[in-house]
Amino acid sequence: MKVLLAEDSLTMRQLLVSQLGRWNYEITEVEDGAQAWEKFQESHFSLVLTDWMMPNIDGLDLIRRIRASDHVEYVYIVLLTSKSDKADLVEAMDAGADDFLAKPCNPNELRVRLRAGERIIELEHTLIRKNKQLMAAQAALVQSEKLAGVGQLAAGMAHEINNPVAFVSNNLAVLQRDVQSLMKLLDQYVTCLPVVEREDKHLANQLKTTEAECDLPWLKENLPQLFRSSLDGLTRVRGIVGNLRDFAHLDQASTDKMDVVAALESTLEILAPDLRARQLTVRTDFGDSLIIHCQPASLKQVFHAILLNAVLASGPNGALEVAALRNDSSVCVEITDHGCGMDETTRRRLFEPFYTKRPVGSGQGLGLAVSYGVIKQHGGSIEFESTPGKGTTFRVMLPDSQRSC
Amino acid sequence: MSTGTKHPILIVDDEPDVLFSLKGLLRHDFELYTAESGEQALEILRQHTIHVIMTDQRMPGMTGAQLVRQARTLYPDAVLIVFTGYADIKAVIEAINTGGLYRYITKPWDPDELIDVLQHAAKRYDEHAARVRFAHDAKSFANDVVQHVEAGDLNGDDAAAVKPLVDRGRLLASQADPFL
Repeated sequence: MKVLLAEDSLTMRQLLVSQLGRWNYEITEVEDGAQAWEKFQESHFSLVLTDWMMPNIDGLDLIRRIRASDHVEYVYIVLLTSKSDKADLVEAMDAGADDFLAKPCNPNELRVRLRAGERIIELEHTLIRKNKQLMAAQAALVQSEKLAGVGQLAAGMAHEINNPVAFVSNNLAVLQRDVQSLMKLLDQYVTCLPVVEREDKHLANQLKTTEAECDLPWLKENLPQLFRSSLDGLTRVRGIVGNLRDFAHLDQASTDKMDVVAALESTLEILAPDLRARQLTVRTDFGDSLIIHCQPASLKQVFHAILLNAVLASGPNGALEVAALRNDSSVCVEITDHGCGMDETTRRRLFEPFYTKRPVGSGQGLGLAVSYGVIKQHGGSIEFESTPGKGTTFRVMLPDSQRSC
Repeated sequence: MSTGTKHPILIVDDEPDVLFSLKGLLRHDFELYTAESGEQALEILRQHTIHVIMTDQRMPGMTGAQLVRQARTLYPDAVLIVFTGYADIKAVIEAINTGGLYRYITKPWDPDELIDVLQHAAKRYDEHAARVRFAHDAKSFANDVVQHVEAGDLNGDDAAAVKPLVDRGRLLASQADPFL
């Protein structure tokens, strides 16, 4: 365990360093309170052993600053001093010291009191861990309740959307076919123009004017394309409704075979508008027959969460890489972005439920927390590497069939 | 389309826009009847011979599956198809399994695929009608042979009944092949 030692007397400091070293502590030693405060802000120390009387910032001031700072993890502080009055002890512990040792201190007493401090630190770590698990479980519950609601909404809407999409698509197909016939008819009528010229010049001129007004060549060239792209647009709407339905069935989370590549591709399709808005290109590298047994709806949600984060982290005109390969009896999915990367705090809190760097209202920070749970449930693993300013790579390992863990 | 005449088909859907849309698509290939409810559909079936019935599943009042059940009993020759969105699939599977449903088509449908399915359904009707016709012809031929044999007028070189019977027999034998 790391310990921060603040002691202005050289001999006392050397003595303590050698004792602490024998007890296998990792020691950072400083001469006064100001240096101690500097070191403390640079990195976290679970244990602080400090003298009271020091130049610049004294022990009590240091303790008060540490207690006032908003460090997430607890700092166990032992105050060393030659002051021995009960009033001093009270003042020290009032300021926030956990323990108080009179100098010169018996080495064994120092050792066991530091050990008591370690136990408290470990207790806190266990508490933090259990809290994280609890929050993850709660997040998963909240998420699945929300998705159940979305599921019902989506299932109802899907039917409402499908009907008009159905007859609009059909109408376009009919129009496409019938406009073609009309064009043929038109072409035949046009061949009559010379005959009309001979018989009725006035009518012939009217015809020529109308033809110029409607720009017949443009129509012949472009109407077919208008129909084609409209039909394509509706095909996309159908795809989106289908994908929405898949997501919506998350609350049923059935087990099935899933083609990992198809799942990644359909998720990328859902994110197509976001990709286009930032002009991101996606490079893919997919292996063959990557079929696994899993809960397809849950895993698609995981892919969506990671890919969305990658998209949001990327600057304009960036690129994403999505790879999926077989690795013995599991499939490895790698998603890389070259965006802003994650700082140390974000890396530490990444899978924490409700932790998010997005502005209020655009996401509650549940995506990766739930993803973590889903992957664990599948007996897989999820890791990441990230460099601020360079980008992030997520690596998800999925076994061929679900193993509980 | 092998025959010159168009097959009469009935489309049932509670949304008039869907019916209108399908009219546009199918008017070239089929003789189209439309109905906005199961009850209307049954009324049309009473008045016209219909080869193929295609109905929406989700309708207020009689559902598609219920209409199919009734049509199967009353008009067993008609080929039955149901339109459905994903959420209705259970009812449709039941309709297929209790017999009678030829195909289901999901909404939205692919227009070319839809025409294909309807043409196959019409062909199925034709094949079934041909089988029924053949069975009638074979039955009446067999009865006639039995009658003549019992009457004893197939003996003798100039038995007038023999040649027509032989011709009919040969014709029936050749017509049997598609069914084997």
